[in-house]
Amino acid sequence: MISALAHKALERDGLGPIRDKVLAGTRLTDADALQLFEAHDLAALGALANHVREARHGQLAFYNRNVHLNPTNVCVATCKFCSFARKDDQLASEGYTMSLDEAVEKVLSKRALGITEVHIVAGLHPTLPWDYYTGLLRRIREAWPELAIKAFTAIEYHYWAEKFGKSYTQVLSELRDAGLTTIPGGGAEIFAPRVRRKICDDKATAEQWLEVHRTAHGLGIRSNATMLYGHIERLDERVDHMRRLRELQDETHGFQVFIPLAFHPEHNMIGKAYPKPTGFDALRTAAVARLYLDNFDHMKAYWVSMGERLAQVALGFGVDDLDGTVLEERIYHMAGSTVPQALSERSLHDLIRAAGRIPAERDSLYNVLKVHDQPLPPAAPPPPRLTVVSA
Amino acid sequence: MPKLKAAAVSFLNAWPLTEALKDSERIELVLAEPSRCAALLEAGEVDLALLPVGALAGKDYEIAPGMAVGADGAVQTVLLVGEQPASSWDEVFLDTASRTSVVLAKLVLDSMGVHPKFTPLPAVEGVARAVGTRGALVIGDRAFDVVKPYVLDLSKEWNRLTGLPMVFAVWAARPGVLQPEDVQELARAAQHGQGIRTELAQEFARQKGGDPEKYRRYLTQRIRYGVGPYEMTGMETFLRLAAEKGYLPPTVVRYADDHVTRQRVRRVVSLDTALQKGADGERIDADEAELLDEKAPLLELGLAADARRRALHGDGVVTYIVSRNVNYTNVCTTACHFCAFYRPRGHREAYVLTRQELAVKIEETLALGGIELLLQGGLHPDLGIEYYEELFRWVKSTYPAISLHALSPEEIWHIARTSELSLEPTIRRLMAAGMDSIPGGGAEILDDEVRRRIAPLKCSTDEWLTVMRTAHRAGLKSTATLMFGVGEEPRHRVNHLQRLRDLQDETHGFTAFICWPFQSSNTRLTASDGSATAYLRTNALARLFLDNVPHLQASWVTMGGGVAQAALHMGCDDFGQVMIEENVVSAAGTTFKMDSEEVERHIRDAGFRPSRRNMRYDRLPGLAT
Repeated sequence: MISALAHKALERDGLGPIRDKVLAGTRLTDADALQLFEAHDLAALGALANHVREARHGQLAFYNRNVHLNPTNVCVATCKFCSFARKDDQLASEGYTMSLDEAVEKVLSKRALGITEVHIVAGLHPTLPWDYYTGLLRRIREAWPELAIKAFTAIEYHYWAEKFGKSYTQVLSELRDAGLTTIPGGGAEIFAPRVRRKICDDKATAEQWLEVHRTAHGLGIRSNATMLYGHIERLDERVDHMRRLRELQDETHGFQVFIPLAFHPEHNMIGKAYPKPTGFDALRTAAVARLYLDNFDHMKAYWVSMGERLAQVALGFGVDDLDGTVLEERIYHMAGSTVPQALSERSLHDLIRAAGRIPAERDSLYNVLKVHDQPLPPAAPPPPRLTVVSA
Repeated sequence: MPKLKAAAVSFLNAWPLTEALKDSERIELVLAEPSRCAALLEAGEVDLALLPVGALAGKDYEIAPGMAVGADGAVQTVLLVGEQPASSWDEVFLDTASRTSVVLAKLVLDSMGVHPKFTPLPAVEGVARAVGTRGALVIGDRAFDVVKPYVLDLSKEWNRLTGLPMVFAVWAARPGVLQPEDVQELARAAQHGQGIRTELAQEFARQKGGDPEKYRRYLTQRIRYGVGPYEMTGMETFLRLAAEKGYLPPTVVRYADDHVTRQRVRRVVSLDTALQKGADGERIDADEAELLDEKAPLLELGLAADARRRALHGDGVVTYIVSRNVNYTNVCTTACHFCAFYRPRGHREAYVLTRQELAVKIEETLALGGIELLLQGGLHPDLGIEYYEELFRWVKSTYPAISLHALSPEEIWHIARTSELSLEPTIRRLMAAGMDSIPGGGAEILDDEVRRRIAPLKCSTDEWLTVMRTAHRAGLKSTATLMFGVGEEPRHRVNHLQRLRDLQDETHGFTAFICWPFQSSNTRLTASDGSATAYLRTNALARLFLDNVPHLQASWVTMGGGVAQAALHMGCDDFGQVMIEENVVSAAGTTFKMDSEEVERHIRDAGFRPSRRNMRYDRLPGLAT
């Protein structure tokens, strides 16, 4: 059911047939998705996406407590949208590579903070040996067995398969044996070859990205999927991207969540020619994705990329997941993001509640850990500074 | 009606609160010593009293919100003095005339690790005997004259220890005595008294001798009369710490407006009906609006408001204006503690813009295609109407292309008061000099229940609306604003919208409505929802309720471009202002061009066509790109 107002507005915009398909649970075509993208009726589009979102998840809005680790920013790829990668780890280029001890310690130092997941993404480092990666996961797994490890993009897996002469299955199963829990969705960018040639012509192709995820799903490793939008791609190329994901999902059912990521223009090549996509585009893309990707369970608004305000509004446009507390984020901040370095669990709850939703903490595999249907107890007021001075 | 009796001390620092009560028709003033004030109130011989904060302890009094005698640094009239540093004192003589100061002295000395013997003694004798390892507490006007090698200003010490202001005295009454009108009267007196602090300082010097300039600085730069969340927290912290140390009995601080509830008796209305009525352009009433505010899902409100926007502005054009904000002075007598902008007169950072400085700003504005100055400033006690008349005439004769969107209602009241004019001639003279329209700032929440709490020394709801009514009748247009998220409830927002709609029915003088959330960290007022969702909901509700206000402005400056774009799809038809930044001078061209392009890109991307406008919301076809 959607409201009479939404029903009428969609009719007015010529979206009546699409509305009826959504309400009947019929799959949308690529042409439908394109029409939704081009409709420019945000409130009606939102109402339709919200219908699907609430049918799946009711009022729940998910988040987790996570920390990011980027063990190196040295990368041989030359993606034109990236502000993070450096060509070597010389001081002058601001490149760095953590030693295994450093990287492990960085994660373990967060033990007291109630973290449930570490999100690890690195670069395509030209010289680090294979056992750096297996060692990193194994040592974290041994020292902190209950921590979920969501690690490395398909781009990295593909690079290592070539570099170390291993199959995707070998790479993935060796890392799984070392402690891998799940795979993040990065590196997908836009699948269309026209776009890939221009923005990231020297890394894994769409087919290779999809094959890595297919292999992972076959091994029982679930994964996420992203789309980097708002640069040189056309709307039909966004739809094409989502179609390929929907097809693979039909085959494997291994994707957990879809995450549209807005391109950030600062300190990278493409940003010189293309401004940051607007918030309107973020909301529209979230809503269209919710309606088109009918076999994806979750839709995420990554608040680090979107900003907290817009991410909150997105909870009404098909989104049910806000990522997490995100300690130590680097990649978006180097591309000009001005959002805080991390959000407390309380701030996330406030954000979710003010949108009229119920916060639900999840784990990395989207199992619900706790539904917070009651507000957290109020924070203690900060103590007066009197005691400090008298010491 | 019998007057309320109010007891107060005759100290200079109380004068700005009490002076204007001398001719009050609601309240009769009785002067007494500090300790006597408390006794009179306790005995029921007066209805309220300007009580030292310490005298609240363990009592069931209600405080008049918004005003007090306080300080957020050195105060000069609550001192510990001696011949040697305080760390060496083994005995301190306490002037027991004020328990508050005694407790403050003990808390400060405790924090320094100094634990002398305390001996009660009148101040004159105490100061005389404060030699060697002995100190003395001295308070009130006699502290002005004390000369000793070591002086601890207790207000400054308190501020250093807690980071909070110190509140020394407040208007307190037995429960249920103070009616809203009485609080209003006290606030009016405080407002008036602050306006005449220079005169009060001169009068005090005439009576007691001494330097009037010193007294003026004391009243304007040391003592603070406004009470906001920081002051409330300061007072509550003082009482709590004193209770923890056993110096005072525990106290629950209560305010006179806590018990005030004036709720409408609400009809039962249907959400769907209210939404549909709103979407169809049928007038909704306050009960329906309140239900929508409380219960309607965001997108339902948004869809209904979008239907209204399409009906009113169906051609898909979204307007914006290029203008410059100029603050002609930062001198202000209101001393709102929320305000980081104001400086007291005589402060080294206080300014009034010169013609030369203004000329530079206006010429930059014109060079960048700007057509309007949004001219606002503090309530400068020395600037009478002639200043503004001359200023406006000069702007208009030198730069005829510039429109003046000038002076919020608060400033217009201030100008009328300082020039001893009534409102209408004030507005007519300003118009004749070149004022084109009035910005709707300072409305906050137009419901005195909220206003008294958050901005007690600002003009009341009626006063704000009176300025607008008078201006509209004289032929001026204005905007209207609302600031939400200050702890108000849905009914307060609805009352605000109702007052605006009623006036608009009468005058049709409002061009546009603009809302934004209260933004502040670290104050008690952040308790309520100022989120993007709340912003979109408030806008949408306003579009439905204010059926007679033509335009709604999306505030991208406060909410960011993306949320403002969403607002364009939930009721707004205007994208506000491309502002020429104050600090941008030589690089202004680039910055401005980017900003203007950025605004137009946001409008286009959201599916609309941009058009520049003037402050009357006429579209300027030639300038749209």
